[in-house]
Amino acid sequence: MSESILAVRRAVEELNLDDIYALVAACLEQGFDAEAIFQEGISTGLETVGRKFEEGEYFLADLIMAGEVVKEAMPLLKERMNQGDGKGKGKVILATVSGDIHEIGKNIVGMILSANGFDVIDLGVDVPTRKIIETVKETGARFIGLSALLTTMVDSIRDVVESSRTAGLRDRVKIVIGGACTSEDLCREMGADDYGETAIDALRIFNKYVASA
Amino acid sequence: MHAIERVLNTLDGKPVDRVPTFCAMVEDRTFNEVLGKPIISQELLLSNPVSRFVLDKWGPQITRPIFQTELNRALMKRIRTQVELGFDSVWAILDETFTVIDHTTMVRFSGSVFNIQPDGYGNMTYMYREPGIKSRQDFEDWPYWPDADDVAHRTYIFFKKVISDYGQKTCIFGQGPAYGIQESLLWSVGFEKMPVWIRREKDLVKRYIDMNEEICLKTNMALLDTGVPVIIQTDDFAFKSGPIMNPKMIDELFGPPYRRIIKAVHDRGGRYVLHSCGDNTRLFDTFISWGVDGLHAYENTSNVDVINEKKLHGDKVTIIGGVGVDYLLTDRSQDHEVEEEVKRLIAELGPGGRFIIAPVHSLSTIPAHKLRIMVDAVKQYGAYPISLQATSKEALI
Repeated sequence: MSESILAVRRAVEELNLDDIYALVAACLEQGFDAEAIFQEGISTGLETVGRKFEEGEYFLADLIMAGEVVKEAMPLLKERMNQGDGKGKGKVILATVSGDIHEIGKNIVGMILSANGFDVIDLGVDVPTRKIIETVKETGARFIGLSALLTTMVDSIRDVVESSRTAGLRDRVKIVIGGACTSEDLCREMGADDYGETAIDALRIFNKYVASA
Repeated sequence: MHAIERVLNTLDGKPVDRVPTFCAMVEDRTFNEVLGKPIISQELLLSNPVSRFVLDKWGPQITRPIFQTELNRALMKRIRTQVELGFDSVWAILDETFTVIDHTTMVRFSGSVFNIQPDGYGNMTYMYREPGIKSRQDFEDWPYWPDADDVAHRTYIFFKKVISDYGQKTCIFGQGPAYGIQESLLWSVGFEKMPVWIRREKDLVKRYIDMNEEICLKTNMALLDTGVPVIIQTDDFAFKSGPIMNPKMIDELFGPPYRRIIKAVHDRGGRYVLHSCGDNTRLFDTFISWGVDGLHAYENTSNVDVINEKKLHGDKVTIIGGVGVDYLLTDRSQDHEVEEEVKRLIAELGPGGRFIIAPVHSLSTIPAHKLRIMVDAVKQYGAYPISLQATSKEALI
């Protein structure tokens, strides 16, 4: 790997928000391919960030910083990367369930998924089940990520699962849940496909679906 | 032994006659069950077309004389309910932090925006919506910063009455209109931006922390002046997956103000309890180094191993919490399950003292009936020496 791309990777790993833009610009000036910079620099750097988070060296705020670092670099890369060439990992619909307006966890998941090649459709908070189902139909998304913090709102998860079944979409979409009040048990109880405790778990789960598709 | 002595001795690590109880606040559903429902529900009162019109048109003007008066009345009912339920210690809060903008929106003076919404039981509640400060300019222009002396004065007036009405019956854990310094920053600039602010806007973050420290210090002094024996402060430093940020950074940024705040409380004979949701396992040492006497939450839904915490820190800090609100203190649980969990917690955490059993949080779904079962079970099984046998492999005795 070239020194320049390695410097990009290090900047991501070290959450260096101040230098990332210049480092990516330098790579492009030197003629490196945007895809290579993204894959070997950004994406590999993010893998290290994820590992450090799982090992307890990095924290939630560091995941967010990593997302910010990537956001800083992406405008430079995006315009040079091939659009719609099928290399994306697919569309993920993210929503905080109906009745719940907490969005921090959902936003972190969105940031991490976007930075890792997913096309994130963030429907926001307090999202009616109907809107989630309509968005699946409109976009053809195969993945749904539902966030819930409030214990009182967990039934909204069941609503989404049931409605996707009623709409004939259940076999087509994977439904993953996360948030303070969720758990493996709740996932089973509500009939969802997977439970992720952290944003890195969510990434791993959606990557698993992509790999097995 | 009187409830107040039982609680203070437990916070001080001295012997007591039984495990004390603490109520982590109740919400409107619970106090309606204990004190009786109002003839006109809060939801109807605030959500009818006339009220909406008035709130939309004159929200800021009527905040203090009408909205805040109603809110304070509800807060006083919460305190009375906790006392009537028989808790040894109760969480009393004055939340004079809001300005109503319209019938769905209010802002907290420290920079955040909240929804006004129904709680599902005919009452109104509020819930965090979004940051109010999105730029340096927003910070400089924020129009709602209060005068700290005024906040302290209003705290004094409210708690003078609280102590007069309930101060001899129960141990009051008082919180003025000052939320945790870290969580206020998080709410005000947004979690997604807080790490960036900390790195890029150091001067503003420092000013923000200083302003909140002043409010905390002054309201705490007002609380202590009224006779409140224990100061409680909410500051959620963790999420379910662990600390929000590096514990070292938390200590560097928030340790100095908290050390000063806690020292000021101790210097005046008060005790200090910190409430922090989430998995604080990697932060407990930090909190203890700040000087806290007790820590509240130990949420069963986080990954905190409370039994191990008792083993590690049980001689340095009082553990407060343990009873889950996700299932146990809801309509879904069976009565005997509440009693069994109380017995288990007493057996595991009671020996050695420094344990106050409590719900891990307030929640609009908590039925009063389940809280009564909890309190009764503690009175029945919580006497020292603890006769219940711990069953976990980490058991202390």
